[in-house]
Amino acid sequence: MPLVPRSSRSRRGFTLAIIAPLLIGLTSCAKVSGLGYKEGLSSVNDTTLPLWQGAWITAGIVGIFTAVLILWPAIFHRKKDDEFPRQTQYHIPIEVAYTIIPFIIVAVLFAYTARDESRITNKSPVGVMHDISVNAMQWSWQFTYPEAGPNATITGTPQQRPVLYLPQGERIRFDLTSSDVVHGFWIPAFMIQLQNLPGVTNHLEFTANKLGDYPGRCNILCGRDHSLMQFTVRVVTPTQYQDYITTLKASQS
Amino acid sequence: MKTSYRLFFVLMIFYFVTAVIYYFTGGEAVGITAITLSGALAGLICFYMWYSNRRIANVLPEDNEVGEISDGAGELGFYSPHSWWPLPVAIFACVSGLGLIIGWWLTFIGVGGLLISILGFVTEYERPVSSQSAH
Amino acid sequence: MTTVVNPPRLTASTVTNANLRRNRKGRQFVKWVTSTDHKTIGYMYLITSFSWFLIGGILALMLRAELTRPGLQFFSNEQYNQIFTMHGTIMLLLFATPVFVGFANVIMPLQIGAADVAFPRLNMMSYWLYLFGGIMAFAGFLSPGGAASFGWTAYAPLSNSQFSPGIGGDLWVMGLALGGLGTILSGVNFITTIFTMRAPGMTMFRMSIFSWNVLLTSILVLLAFPPLAAAFLGLESDRLFGSHIFDPANGGAMLWQHLFWFFGHPEVYILAIPFFGIASEILPVFSRKPIFGYKGLIAATIAISALSVSVWAHHLFATGQVLLPFFSFMTFLIGVPTGVKFFNWIGTMWRGSITFETPMLWTMGFLITFLFGGLTGIILASPPLDFAVSASYFVVAHFHYVLFGTVVFTMFGGFYFWWPKMTGKMLNERLGKIHFWMTFFGFHLTFLIQHWLGIKGFPRRYPDYLPTDGFTFMNEVSSVGAALLAASMIPFFINIWITRKSPMVGVDDPWGYGASLEWATSCPPPRHNFTSMPRIRSERPAFDLHHPHIKTEGH
Repeated sequence: MPLVPRSSRSRRGFTLAIIAPLLIGLTSCAKVSGLGYKEGLSSVNDTTLPLWQGAWITAGIVGIFTAVLILWPAIFHRKKDDEFPRQTQYHIPIEVAYTIIPFIIVAVLFAYTARDESRITNKSPVGVMHDISVNAMQWSWQFTYPEAGPNATITGTPQQRPVLYLPQGERIRFDLTSSDVVHGFWIPAFMIQLQNLPGVTNHLEFTANKLGDYPGRCNILCGRDHSLMQFTVRVVTPTQYQDYITTLKASQS
Repeated sequence: MKTSYRLFFVLMIFYFVTAVIYYFTGGEAVGITAITLSGALAGLICFYMWYSNRRIANVLPEDNEVGEISDGAGELGFYSPHSWWPLPVAIFACVSGLGLIIGWWLTFIGVGGLLISILGFVTEYERPVSSQSAH
Repeated sequence: MTTVVNPPRLTASTVTNANLRRNRKGRQFVKWVTSTDHKTIGYMYLITSFSWFLIGGILALMLRAELTRPGLQFFSNEQYNQIFTMHGTIMLLLFATPVFVGFANVIMPLQIGAADVAFPRLNMMSYWLYLFGGIMAFAGFLSPGGAASFGWTAYAPLSNSQFSPGIGGDLWVMGLALGGLGTILSGVNFITTIFTMRAPGMTMFRMSIFSWNVLLTSILVLLAFPPLAAAFLGLESDRLFGSHIFDPANGGAMLWQHLFWFFGHPEVYILAIPFFGIASEILPVFSRKPIFGYKGLIAATIAISALSVSVWAHHLFATGQVLLPFFSFMTFLIGVPTGVKFFNWIGTMWRGSITFETPMLWTMGFLITFLFGGLTGIILASPPLDFAVSASYFVVAHFHYVLFGTVVFTMFGGFYFWWPKMTGKMLNERLGKIHFWMTFFGFHLTFLIQHWLGIKGFPRRYPDYLPTDGFTFMNEVSSVGAALLAASMIPFFINIWITRKSPMVGVDDPWGYGASLEWATSCPPPRHNFTSMPRIRSERPAFDLHHPHIKTEGH
């Protein structure tokens, strides 16, 4: 039963101090059901977003449960007299329980994770409709569209950020390389990133599913103008994409 | 003291098993090597603790559950009261490292000073051997 | 119940304090510089590492100042890179790791009933290696090319001499290699001390949790720092002698990441575990109950130590070159013993008789903050989720929650808790509480919103962004928090200043419910720690001494 509060003001203040930032964070998250991400933007979102939501719900439940357990004694088990409390040193059943239950929780999380990560990293050469090479260099990007010819490369600069054209609904295979140091190919809205490693060719496959412009940014420190190494992902209709390829072909001759 | 070698034994087994699992699930050279060597380090320390412990027949006072403080009475050992030597050893180690960057001349000075300082550090509390005692 | 025993015979005299007014400052300086006393060396570590904390904090304020508004107001891109590189380097390697060494030095020998550490002069040498190595790394700022600017993670080939010319990078590598050597030697010292110098009756399973954690942390140091040293020496060889160890053509980019993170992940446990230990010391004292699940805590910490060498590649998920299932499984697994520790701490408080003196307040701050940081860690352990937010401000938020939450909050808890033991005086409680609340609010205001920044797509290590990016408001909030966090140091400085002239506590245990052995000797302790020692029959020898009527079930 709650004890007579020693200093209810400070107790309330303390509880509020904990809850308030959490609430602020949670309310802003709650506005968008994707907890920061939009549904359906890419094949990656389709796989990852449910996992993201599930993981946060689990984290929220575990977190609030544990936070309550931490604050409960802070509020209700305060010193009320000079009696020593019972000097409990261990309780095997409870200790076993709080070892096994977290293990089950992470096992479940791992099961979903394993399923989803193989879906995302799965390479399906049959389903791929287009190839695009992404070469990173200090400090911009080169996108090569082999369908328009082996030299159909557009090169960006920090001042003139390149546009990566992607056809809606068609699976793309990206070959990631680097001319110099390690860079990071990151499209935040598509919940996907992969490093451009010098000396290695990395492979990534996904499908962009919604028309629009999305920012892309280098997220692995690569030197002075790392923050200027940005690009725009432009998802266009397949017809517009073919037009773009034709334009590239023509501009080479 | 059994706990010491048991602790390292557990760690050694865990690291070797992990290395094997990592190898068979398709791990890479750095990880396999590093985890295996971690197991080897744990094993080395485990062996040393076990071997030293074997030769101690009785239970040491610190491992004695009913040990009395007076069991540890007497001289605890030699504790250096104060010493200047750690400072030059560290300084010359750093000078040697700095010398790699600045120039070989500095490395020579550093290594030379380091050798002298280490010698001084190690022999600080040695007493001269009298000519009459056997070596 | 107290037994008075033969005091340890001092086999050499201490420096006589002839009190010649002319030479007193000089004598004091010499006494410290030639000290072989683990307490003095520990204080030197604590003072030096706290100074680095302040320097790293100023660098952080510089970063936050630049990020508050779009546009580069204060620094160039290159300078900004140097600032965050040194901020990370200082906080992790020159502040947090040495502050563990400092606390371990001061407290662990007292807790196990030893007269000093096993290798007192080596102890001092480690300190000098740390001091000079750190100064060397920082001295890059004085060079024409500036300090190292490739991030504290120094990814190859960015960190080689082609992409990062200038001696700033070389000074960084060599300074840290030397400091790392000091840390390894301290690890050796602590393990040896704990195994060979415990007092009679102080069996391994009666040692305090903090001392156990020092032991396990030291083992991790032995496992993690040598690969770092190897990586650094390889990098330096590439930079100076033109070798091709980390040449991308030889797979150098991945080689560096593997070697670095094989060190880097155990390193964060090296940072966390000692401070978990401090929390485990403070909670029982202010709950007036023993630590709950002593053996379970030790088992959990051993599990963490074992597992921590098998999770490193969760920092490499985004490379596309590592075994995702293996590492994500291990990373999820290591969350389990960490969670177990949480419930042990809660169990310690449960049905206790709790008072909120400043050390307890700091520990509560740690519990709440680390809880959130640990949960975002579980999120990051899942590769699909990691692909969304890796190398963004989400990760920055996560690691500040776990590191600041653990290291800084419990460090201050440890300061307020052990200040009387170290200096003989209590820090002022009211100022301590103001200090805590300012830090708590400042921290969360700075870092909570950074989770959202990362989700919205703001990468790490960016000095600037466009007004159209939508990052401005969040950065402004974070910078206000940083200012509050900076201001929170003021009550602490005032506190230290005004308690210079406080009265000595005069008792062995000013808190009244101290459990471990350091609370059975004077405040501060004599040169070789104990003039008398109580009988040791449980993990709470000082508590048994001061409250003999309370039954403690021995182990």
